[in-house]
Amino acid sequence: MPDVRARYPELIRLGSTADDPPVIIGQACGACGRRSFPPDPYGCEACGAAVDRLTSTELAAVGVIHAVATVHRHHHPRPETPFTVATIVLDDGVTLKGVLTGDTSAVGVGSRVRGVTVPWDTDDDGTEVVDLRFETVGGEG
Amino acid sequence: MGRNLLAERPTYVVGIGLHRYQHKTDTTYVQLGLTAVRAALADAGITWPDVETAYTGTALLGMGASRIMLSRLGATGIPMAQVENASASGSTAVAQACLDVASGRTDVALALGVDKPRGGLPMAPSEAGISNLEGGTVVPFTHFALLASEYMAAHGVTAEQVAGVALKNHRNGARNPFAQRQQERSMEEIMADPISGSMSRLQCCPVGEGASAVIIASDEGIDRLGIDRSRAVRVLASATRSEGLYPPGVGIDAALTVETAQAAFDQAGVGPLDMDVLEVHDAFSIEELLYTEALGFCEPGQAAFLVESGHFDLGGRCAVSPSGGLLAMGHPIGPTGTGQVAEVTRQLRGEAGDRQQPGAHLGLTHMVGVGAVCVVHVLESPRG
Repeated sequence: MPDVRARYPELIRLGSTADDPPVIIGQACGACGRRSFPPDPYGCEACGAAVDRLTSTELAAVGVIHAVATVHRHHHPRPETPFTVATIVLDDGVTLKGVLTGDTSAVGVGSRVRGVTVPWDTDDDGTEVVDLRFETVGGEG
Repeated sequence: MGRNLLAERPTYVVGIGLHRYQHKTDTTYVQLGLTAVRAALADAGITWPDVETAYTGTALLGMGASRIMLSRLGATGIPMAQVENASASGSTAVAQACLDVASGRTDVALALGVDKPRGGLPMAPSEAGISNLEGGTVVPFTHFALLASEYMAAHGVTAEQVAGVALKNHRNGARNPFAQRQQERSMEEIMADPISGSMSRLQCCPVGEGASAVIIASDEGIDRLGIDRSRAVRVLASATRSEGLYPPGVGIDAALTVETAQAAFDQAGVGPLDMDVLEVHDAFSIEELLYTEALGFCEPGQAAFLVESGHFDLGGRCAVSPSGGLLAMGHPIGPTGTGQVAEVTRQLRGEAGDRQQPGAHLGLTHMVGVGAVCVVHVLESPRG
């Protein structure tokens, strides 16, 4: 198996096997308990605690779609248009935006999704770079 | 709490002037700005040496924009500074000019907004070293397409109802000689050319160049310079807030507007239903719905139906975006906020011609700047 890394390794921990789901790296404040994403190198927006009180915490990449939009115009060649983005409320309580993959024709507000990785690029040394996408949960139960 | 300076020392808009908003041309920013300031001075019936302090709202011009421009009216040596607050830069220039006058530091102040589009300008938030998973896929039109998706799902609203904002605002803009888009559009035209989600090209504002200027004065300034009181529009409130932390699922842009509007209405001693005319930050059609609701004009989910019924048309209960708003008048960034104050002033004077809201007595301006910040002003007609 070739070496694999996440496109944003500071935000994603890949599973140890291909079937192991990726995990989102969030942050927890040791002073007020707030959980947030993305990780912040400066301090806590809720209570003002300095960064030394903030610790890394793992968030399961599963949640519910809160809003969805198919993008027709994009100023970069990738992802190719049209692609679909969603606002996702993770079961762990954090809201983030992500790109969907797979069949999005039936996706709507309230759909359950989970994180998966897709090929993004290959580094010069042959390392495969993968990026996080979300796909609807279902079909396989 | 500090003092309510605008209640202690009456402060007025006494002059307005604009350079049309338009696609980028070879016209220099200096020429754009001077056109607006000269028009505002003529409108107030005063001369440049009467102006005691100047603020230039600009986000795109770079360092040191004011003096090279304003000194061409005469190098009077007055204090001047650039004001940057993203899309709310012009609004913040107005806020600073009002603060100067209301505090008693000066009797006559200029707020000018001027900008020209420029690619490749650094955005400070993207230099903060905080990464995200989006990888550039969620640009502003998609952020607002997602809010439209949420709004439509929550309230049973159709994409056409959201687009009704653009239909109305293009109709208004067609009557505004300073608007970048001066063409009435059909619903079919509005819905064509999808950009992201239900947001189509004509539901996204054009970002061009232009300028707008407002002159702020005190009673003493008005009396000393012989300014026409029957055209002086009082500033009842000037409120600025920045984004707080809101519960999961609460829309940041709307929640920030709720707080800023409350601060403004508290200063002014009036409420949303007293307003006759509004200029809101409709950079994308969905925003006007969210903000009219957040400003307190109706309950969440109702604005789309009220737009459809003509409630917010010129001649309706409260005219929203009579200038054409950002969608039709345009959003040249620096000038947008000063231009809103110019439009509401024109409406409250009863000088808006074929886009006049009948009997307009109280008006409100509202801008949001990326970051996010929100700036609201409340204005009162010369009839008092």
